[in-house]
Amino acid sequence: MILWAENIRKTYGDREILKGVSLSISKGELKVLIGPSGAGKSTLLQCLNFLVMPDAGDVWLEGHKIDRAKKSELYAIRQQVGMIFQDFNLFDHLTALENIKIGLIRVKGMDKKAATDRADAELERVGLKEHAKHYPAQLSGGQKQRVSIARALAMDPKVMLLDEPTSALDPELIGEVHAVIRDLVANGMTMIMATHQIGFSRAMANEIIFMENGLIVEQGEPRKIFSNAECERTREFCSKVTDLYGEV
Amino acid sequence: MPESLNTVIDALPYMLSGALITIAVVAGAMLFGLVAGVPLAVGQVYGRRLPQRLIGIYIWFFRGIPLLVLLFLFYFGFCTLVGLNLSAFTVAIIVLGLISSAYQSQIFRGAIGSLPAGQFKAARALGMSDTQTIIFVILPQALRLSIPGWSNEYSIVLKDSAVTFALGVAEIMARTHFVATRTYQHMPLYIAAGIIYLVLTYLGIKALRILENKVRIHGYIR
Repeated sequence: MILWAENIRKTYGDREILKGVSLSISKGELKVLIGPSGAGKSTLLQCLNFLVMPDAGDVWLEGHKIDRAKKSELYAIRQQVGMIFQDFNLFDHLTALENIKIGLIRVKGMDKKAATDRADAELERVGLKEHAKHYPAQLSGGQKQRVSIARALAMDPKVMLLDEPTSALDPELIGEVHAVIRDLVANGMTMIMATHQIGFSRAMANEIIFMENGLIVEQGEPRKIFSNAECERTREFCSKVTDLYGEV
Repeated sequence: MPESLNTVIDALPYMLSGALITIAVVAGAMLFGLVAGVPLAVGQVYGRRLPQRLIGIYIWFFRGIPLLVLLFLFYFGFCTLVGLNLSAFTVAIIVLGLISSAYQSQIFRGAIGSLPAGQFKAARALGMSDTQTIIFVILPQALRLSIPGWSNEYSIVLKDSAVTFALGVAEIMARTHFVATRTYQHMPLYIAAGIIYLVLTYLGIKALRILENKVRIHGYIR
């Protein structure tokens, strides 16, 4: 196991978003989180790299338990765990290339030349080499998300967390982002992804985790969850998303 | 009429050299306000409870007391009390700068607040420290968005600088007053002074407009 979390809890005000969630992932796996909005998928992902501070629970990365009281440990785990957001969150004042370079220079301490070379290579990997000098506002949603994936990859993450990476995209643009993710799977990247893309998940995921009301309801192989779930609620949810997001 | 015009023409070089002093005071105060205003804004947005409180008091103080009171308080009161021998010119820059820092901090605070929360999150997710995030991600964007508010602040500080004449700073107003009391040509002289202020306002705002366009983020519409 490369990353695991135990008994993660998070409460906002009097709303309990996560009621004790545990999960683990091994190298090269893709696990997909599904579930209705408000289930806690996004909060869970952000608790794994402490972008959201869990109220209780622990996270281990490669056998090392993260001490959340130490800022240096938080900075370190975030550097090793890449994060992709639903709304991209590219730095608006920087070009595509600079968006990738900034982490390499400021966090990894690379010199400018090496950072440029690496950033170029990552852009090429996501098929956007010719857009290096473009600003986020000049890119399409799909291109922005691919740049944000390149930005995360450049940091050599051990795990990637993807928080509904295609939810803000036009249907036509989803494919190009899926192609990049498919590539990552082929290259053995370890990933946890929240998504509503049932078809893609079924084809790519090692495991599907169904969450609702801050708890994991059921988890298992895609085939089992989508066609033969034990829990009534899982079956109900899956049939609804399947209607909405296309055939499984 | 010709006589009054002649008075103005004769006084113009003297008044214009006062304009240079006005420009120096305003530039100094704006710079002071910028250097102090940015950390004030950052502290107010991202600081802990105590610094937030202290900054709040600072801003309340400098926005709440009239400029003239502060000028006298500082020049005749504070400087004498602690035995500081500062020129009226220096005091003018410091006091205008302190006040401007309070106003500028609110311009920057507004700009920081208008940035999407995702910007901070994304920088953190890369492993950047909070300080790095503020310096390399938040401020470059927030300062760009601050330029329109800053040009407003410039026009206010420029006009406020006329009050420093009360300390004897030899700026436009002081010099105009000096000539007017000797020639009794109040009307044409103060019209000329007003025109100088109008021109300075125009030039400053124009320059900031050019700066705004120069640093505009490509394709960015907001």
